[in-house]
Amino acid sequence: METDEMSQFLVNEGLRLGADEIIAVATNKTLRQIRFGNNEITITKTWDEVVAEVLLEKDKTVLTATMTDTSRGSIRETLRDLIAMTKVMKPHEDYSPLPEGPFRYREIPRLYDKRISTLEEKSVDYVIAAINSATESGANRSAGTLLVEDSVSKLTSSRNAEGNRKKTTINLSIRSLADGESSGVGITCGTNLDDFNPEKAGEEAGGLAKMSLRAESGKLGRYNVVFSRVANAVLFDIVAGMNSAFYVGAGISCFIEKLGEKVASDRIALYDDAQVTGGVGSTPFDDEGNPTGRTTIIENGVLKTHLHNSLTAKKYKTKSTANATRTRLYRTWMPLPWNVLVKEGEHSDEELLEEVKNGLFVNNITYVRFQDYRKGDFSGIIRDGLFKIENGELTSPVKGLRLSDNILHLLQNATALSKDAVQINHWWMEFDTPSVWTPLVSARNIGFTVATK
Amino acid sequence: MKELADFAVGYAGELGAEYAEARFQNDLKNMYLLVNGKPEVGRFVRSSGIGIRVLIDGGMSFLSINKPDKELLKKRVKEAVKIARSSVKTMKKPIRLSPEKTSKKEWEAKAKIPFKDVSLKEKVGLLFDIDNAVSSPREVGIKIASRYFYFLEYEIEKYFLNSEGTEVSSFLPKIMFYGLLTASEPQKGTEQDRIGKGESRGWEAVKEWDLVNHAAEKAKTLGRILKTAKEAPKGRLDIVLGSEVVGLMMHESAGHPYEADRIMGREAAQAGESFITRDMIGQKIGPETVTVVDDPTVEHSFGYYLYDDEGVPARRRYLIEGGVINEFLHNRETAFEMGVKSNGAARAEFFDREPIVRMASTFMLPGDHTFEELIEDVKQGVFMNTFGEWNIDDRRYNMRFIGRECYLIEKGNLRSMVRRPILEITTPGFFGSIDALDKNLKYEGAICGKSDPAQGAPVWHGGPNVRVKDVKLGGVE
Repeated sequence: METDEMSQFLVNEGLRLGADEIIAVATNKTLRQIRFGNNEITITKTWDEVVAEVLLEKDKTVLTATMTDTSRGSIRETLRDLIAMTKVMKPHEDYSPLPEGPFRYREIPRLYDKRISTLEEKSVDYVIAAINSATESGANRSAGTLLVEDSVSKLTSSRNAEGNRKKTTINLSIRSLADGESSGVGITCGTNLDDFNPEKAGEEAGGLAKMSLRAESGKLGRYNVVFSRVANAVLFDIVAGMNSAFYVGAGISCFIEKLGEKVASDRIALYDDAQVTGGVGSTPFDDEGNPTGRTTIIENGVLKTHLHNSLTAKKYKTKSTANATRTRLYRTWMPLPWNVLVKEGEHSDEELLEEVKNGLFVNNITYVRFQDYRKGDFSGIIRDGLFKIENGELTSPVKGLRLSDNILHLLQNATALSKDAVQINHWWMEFDTPSVWTPLVSARNIGFTVATK
Repeated sequence: MKELADFAVGYAGELGAEYAEARFQNDLKNMYLLVNGKPEVGRFVRSSGIGIRVLIDGGMSFLSINKPDKELLKKRVKEAVKIARSSVKTMKKPIRLSPEKTSKKEWEAKAKIPFKDVSLKEKVGLLFDIDNAVSSPREVGIKIASRYFYFLEYEIEKYFLNSEGTEVSSFLPKIMFYGLLTASEPQKGTEQDRIGKGESRGWEAVKEWDLVNHAAEKAKTLGRILKTAKEAPKGRLDIVLGSEVVGLMMHESAGHPYEADRIMGREAAQAGESFITRDMIGQKIGPETVTVVDDPTVEHSFGYYLYDDEGVPARRRYLIEGGVINEFLHNRETAFEMGVKSNGAARAEFFDREPIVRMASTFMLPGDHTFEELIEDVKQGVFMNTFGEWNIDDRRYNMRFIGRECYLIEKGNLRSMVRRPILEITTPGFFGSIDALDKNLKYEGAICGKSDPAQGAPVWHGGPNVRVKDVKLGGVE
């Protein structure tokens, strides 16, 4: 079955079997990936997948299913199982009818690039270009992935929502090492080949790795900091993700009961925008069929809204922000961000460093873990470049420090932002945000700890 | 689809592949979630398809397909062969696989109580019972402001074959429970704790977990922390680490750094590398009392399997034996590279994921002390029974654990609770400071993430209670 036929079949069968409401998204996609390590390609991958996903409601009980066995018989069997389950499961307290269509969806420019869908073995050349560029910039060896996706999706609902989405994405992440510990990272991504620059990503990774050589051990304490775009992608994924109304309701957020309050410095504004041209997370409709748009999460440091789907909107007595997303294995149906945008400041990168004058530059953060989600206390591993800022310039590399602070404290202590935001698709995204567009951000009095033995 | 798996291996051979394998995998996953006493959207996964690997001229390709389309499969296998050959131009030396005995085997883990024999009413009802048990401040002594519980039940059917003649079929049920409790107390703030359980068997595991009482005890402990815990001491002292803490340390500091693909740099971009190098086999890293194993064959364990996803028989791996670095975790690619046999550590999460080097059940073998003996020799110290926040750098060298349920130890006795002591220590620093182990081996179930695209592997980790001497608790003011 093609995606059009499949999504219609899912809706028809669901209704026929007794569902009150149903929405289906059928996706046909081909993904290609090249992984490399030690400057060599370690494996090439191709995935051909048809995926059918449904949200089904009966007697106010709400269930979802993901199916990769998409034969008619298997779909029918799964839908029958779901209907049977609705009879014994309890109604959802915040049940809300699916959005009533029909809707007109705005076309997002440059969401599909045929050149990406036909790359095939040409993609090997991009990997080689990135590796060579990193090597020329000082890398001893590089590792990474190139991922290319070409997908066609069809959404159909029993409430007359109907949408088509054709999309390509390309994402290269390269991590270079100049020795065992000195590393750097470069990322390039988008929906269009014109936005893709593997040489530049390689150059950044290799250059940072070289700069990180001969690092000295850092000292525990509080520092003024400039966070790179890569580091900010990880931090603002958390800020936006913790503003999913689902996580707020579940107590897995430091933004509980903070709507309308000052949660960040005046300089911080944060948006979720599913319509960004070239955005890896861009989509004309969410997975309930709502037309997407731009949502202001934080403006002038004030928390304006959480992200909602229909269920959470009912709970919070507000409107959906069109952030209903399909589910993942360890997540249920919930609102999540599409493309997170951090509002740019007025400084050049150099001016931002000059303003901080003395402190630290943090290039990448991974392995973020919380002691207390409600309070926001966390720590994260710093890697791929940690440098002293002395007299407004990056000087010597530092190692062994761990970022140990609090999300709200970090937002409130932001002092300035640079003016050029770049799209980052990061491997370590706690809340799976597809992309974060961010400039550099400076913040004062940020905590760092060290191993004591 | 199984016929397509057979066809793919034969067809890759016709195209000149020196090695080919196919794995048909059929997954059923059901998730039931209760948040703050309200049922959330139920989540069900029906996943089925074939993953294929082809090795040609030393280049490796992986492809997956989930539609029974023979023509598309032929096209993709042809492309895989072409792109694998094209990738060889970047390689200094070709990929080779360690020679292994072929196997023809069927194995399964039997569920005494299959998931289908348990009504949904009972499954969701148990979540409500757990929620009720922690919701009454009068019963547990504290307000549990947020409650998040789910069951995830799995059934995994696999059929593996390769061009060398190995054929392995398997069936594995798994069940997981996760809970997150947030207690709050005016003026004292909040404390969170989680419950992680996982086993490879049927609903009988859940009956043995005694989740209602377990969750209520967790809630009570959070209340005691908020109401009675004093400021944690800083500076040099002795620490007794509880099994839960030791278990995760074994996973992070003895499991991950011994994964041969990390050591070789294959995971450098994301998961990272290792402070362990291939020439460190035979080096001393801890006292003789310390032996750390990874063992997929522990019955009922969450990471249980008898053959890995390259068709290699599973066995216990002695990562650290008598304080000495003994062996790494290998798949066939890393084993060939290091001149050894695979020890059966290749695992793939779904049909569309390549098999990579993973842990299964990683734990420190117990010692001969009683818990009381560990405590009675400590003049001034802390017992860190459980942890909240933790992380470790990508070389698995610099780790941090912040305690959750912790007690001051004075003159050999457990005293008052202390709040959030911070242990930040290197892996050699930790192993080098181990002074004594007790007899009480316990395991926790968890999902381990690795690689790109990320693969979540069900694992156990465990250990006894362990005493470490003369370490420094710290943190930033």
